[in-house]
Amino acid sequence: MKWFPSFGFQRRKRELQEEIDAHLQMAIADRVARGETAESARQAAAREFGNIPLVQDVTRDMWGQALLEQLGRDLRYALRQLRKSPGFTITATAMLAVAICANSTVFSWIDGTMLRPIPGARDTGDLVSLQRGERNFSPTPPFSYLDYRDLREQNRTFTGILAYHHDWITLTGGAQPERVYIANVSANYFDVLGIKPVLGRFFLPDEESRAVPNVVLGYSLWKTRYAKDPAIVGKSIELARHPVTVIGVAPEGVVGAMPGLRDDLWVTLDPLGTDVWRMTHRSGGAVWLNVIGRLRPGVTRGQAAQDLDTAMRHIVAAYPDDHLGDNRITLDPMWRSPFGANGYMAATLPILLAFAAVVLMLTCANVATLTLVRFVARRRELAIRQSLGANRIQLVRQMVLEGVVLSIVAGAVALVLTSWTSKTFAWFFPANSNPIILNGSMDHNVVIGIAVFSLLAGMLCGALPAWRSSHAPAIDVLKAESASISGGSRNRKLLSGLVVAQIALSLPLLLCSALFLRTLRNLAGANPGFERDHILTASVGLNIAGYSHDEEQLIRHKILDRVSALPGVKVVSLTDWIPMTLGHKGEDAYPEGYVPHPHESLQVYHAEVAPRYFESLHIPILEGREFTPDDDEKAPRVLIVDQTAAKRYWPGQDPLGKRLRVWGRLFTVVGVARNSTHIFVNEAPEPMVYMSFFQVGYETIVQVKTEGNPVDLAPAVENAIHEIDPRLPVFDVRPMRESTQVASSFAVIQSALAGMFALIGLVLAVTGIYGVVAYRTQMRTHEIGVRMALGASRVDVLRLVLLQGLWVTGIGLALGLAFALGLTRLIARLLYGIGANDPVTVVSVVMLLGAMSLAACYLPARRAMRRNPVTAIREL
Amino acid sequence: MSTPMGEKDQYKNRIELLQGTLDMLILQTLQWGPQHGYGIVQALRLRSGDVLQVETGSLYPALHRLERQGWVQSEWKQSESKQRARYYRITARGKKQLASDLGRWERIVEAIGSVMYVKPEESES
Repeated sequence: MKWFPSFGFQRRKRELQEEIDAHLQMAIADRVARGETAESARQAAAREFGNIPLVQDVTRDMWGQALLEQLGRDLRYALRQLRKSPGFTITATAMLAVAICANSTVFSWIDGTMLRPIPGARDTGDLVSLQRGERNFSPTPPFSYLDYRDLREQNRTFTGILAYHHDWITLTGGAQPERVYIANVSANYFDVLGIKPVLGRFFLPDEESRAVPNVVLGYSLWKTRYAKDPAIVGKSIELARHPVTVIGVAPEGVVGAMPGLRDDLWVTLDPLGTDVWRMTHRSGGAVWLNVIGRLRPGVTRGQAAQDLDTAMRHIVAAYPDDHLGDNRITLDPMWRSPFGANGYMAATLPILLAFAAVVLMLTCANVATLTLVRFVARRRELAIRQSLGANRIQLVRQMVLEGVVLSIVAGAVALVLTSWTSKTFAWFFPANSNPIILNGSMDHNVVIGIAVFSLLAGMLCGALPAWRSSHAPAIDVLKAESASISGGSRNRKLLSGLVVAQIALSLPLLLCSALFLRTLRNLAGANPGFERDHILTASVGLNIAGYSHDEEQLIRHKILDRVSALPGVKVVSLTDWIPMTLGHKGEDAYPEGYVPHPHESLQVYHAEVAPRYFESLHIPILEGREFTPDDDEKAPRVLIVDQTAAKRYWPGQDPLGKRLRVWGRLFTVVGVARNSTHIFVNEAPEPMVYMSFFQVGYETIVQVKTEGNPVDLAPAVENAIHEIDPRLPVFDVRPMRESTQVASSFAVIQSALAGMFALIGLVLAVTGIYGVVAYRTQMRTHEIGVRMALGASRVDVLRLVLLQGLWVTGIGLALGLAFALGLTRLIARLLYGIGANDPVTVVSVVMLLGAMSLAACYLPARRAMRRNPVTAIREL
Repeated sequence: MSTPMGEKDQYKNRIELLQGTLDMLILQTLQWGPQHGYGIVQALRLRSGDVLQVETGSLYPALHRLERQGWVQSEWKQSESKQRARYYRITARGKKQLASDLGRWERIVEAIGSVMYVKPEESES
């Protein structure tokens, strides 16, 4: 096998020419020597030699390299055939382009998120994300610094393990404080990721746990805020009013190690020396780090998990009091890491890709139908070519090539379309407090993907009809002028099969999209258990702006006073958490006197809320009382549990007055609140404890209940806060309704895409069945004319044609239903308020598809019915 | 484009008929020394007393096929009459092939001969 046969081919062609020339020259020379004239010698030699081009042709065949030339010839032929029927060419190309684009778009989203979990990092396939204890969908950071350091030093299966904590902070020192996203990172963070600075350096090992106020800037922050200052390294900037020194700039595109979320800058774990407690403890608030490791070459995830598990067991044995609950270590590859966005992506996007693949198959079946009909129309031409010596392989090759040409053009169109659609992924995420940077990416993976999809499509929609058509015995086709009947019956089964396939493939698409749409409606209509209208929330960056604790408390009270004085404001409260915004805080909580079993995890969600929080959100207090202004730092610690927490800790008892130990301190239950939604409407309820904001509150979010539209009040609220101190950073000022939309983002993505795919599927299936029934009816025009002439009524004709379509539809629906009911099991987890086999949905989808198919059959049937039998008989 | 395809098939058939014999004849000719295509035609005609006329449409495909099979090698050289021509030379594998071809040929001739010259008494019994 030569790699560049075309070069060798040209050279050998020249040499053959030369060889033949030499032969002729020698023959002429011999004849001249025997006394012939030059002219007659030349003629005789040429005559003797024979047909020179033919000799060349046959000889070249011996090289076994003429394949390329033949391919070129077939390609030209295919193009000529396609040009002859522009209607077919354009329709088929457009359909294939849309189907390929559906696949490549979803793939580009997978590529941009799951396959590129950490932009800029080297070999992300070797990275694994560490999880400790109970696995759940949106875990909190699982490790303390000391545990992380022990694991890092004791493992034998990783080349490096990094730790980070994603947070936000204020960039002060400018005219306006700016909220930026920051990560506290271990010193080896960039090393483990394999990232080199564009300017300066990254952190040194001995800076990790010392108070070294150094900062590494992200590229975009360096560009926007510091105008790409080449001398930035060594300069001092202000973070939360503390001076820090810039030591380096990360390369463009590097946004940190949490998939889907952006960091603007990075500092070490305790850059100011203010978090000594957190650096020297192993439980409670000191469990704050997400950890990612890079596997040693040749080590499997299972081996590494075992290794870390052993190390973790030693740590637990040494510090049992700090490791109550489940401590098993599990590892996830980054594409489905539960930290960040990929957990959600892995649950959504592969299913959508499967849907898109169904659309592609459906389209191929449709195009194959059209192609088959075209080949039947061309059967005389094919038969002639066959009897002239073209063998079957050659014919098939030419016909397949037509399909391949179509799909290559379609692939090129899809490539252009995808370069735009890949970027539409970000549209699905409404503005929220998380720095979500999810989007599709258009890189070589996607291009390869498109090539594969196109090739597959070309083979599917070209090969099948081609193989089928080449079967027709040439003699029969040429002999039978009215070959419509024999030629038709040969292909009838395949045509019907293709239509059955289209109906069977579109039914599951329709069913899934109907289920998703109803899920979306159920989610939107569901009562989350708290009020979302007439609520405005605004984050105040108190904790991140560098105020002292007393200043913070004072400002918080001032905010409550000022904002509640505003006209149009009904109730003002403070909280440090907004429900249904993808975030939550978790902590272990144990009833007083309770000794947890080893490896027992008693995690609860917690939120810190100020007085009148429950009132403003309309969450009823079922027992006891709400927080009051007296529940401050001087008062005994109190908390309010929700029903789930009450049932877990004190089933059948009155929770009031009972005490829970959190962070090693006892809190007394003063109230029981009704359950409400925490993250997703369709979540399994997790126990929640509310604590008093003025006792343990950290972040400050002002929650305002308004009389009118909350948006109208946003500027006034912002002003009122800035009147207290103009340097207070205020951000994420949004109506609650808008903030909580992010919780249904994934349902929206699923139903939007499934809906679009189903619509495409419906259109293809209906046009497919219409096309085939119309074609077959046309083929039978003559027969129908004869029947009518012999006395068949119009109703008989109608029945004849309709029955044909109904059979196909019926079989398609039956197969499709079986396929659909299998497929809905895969999406059952994503549904809400509706069963995967919901009978109403199933029946209505089947009826819809059945009715549409019937209508598609009726049109050609009516046309046949109305034909004049005399003209019908004449027509062949 | 279908027309030449048909004619081509005819040529192919003729090669197939002569295949084996033609290969053997060519290899035998090259046993006497490297030769070019024209030379092979002339040599075969002379040796066979003008009986064997090898068609160029069979000769060149056969030569190129033999070369691909590694039984002959070719190189460009000047002929005695200063004509640049492609000379074919038999290889070691070609010689082995020739021996086996010859063996087969002799068996065939013998077999055909024993059919054609049956003794009359044997056929009667």
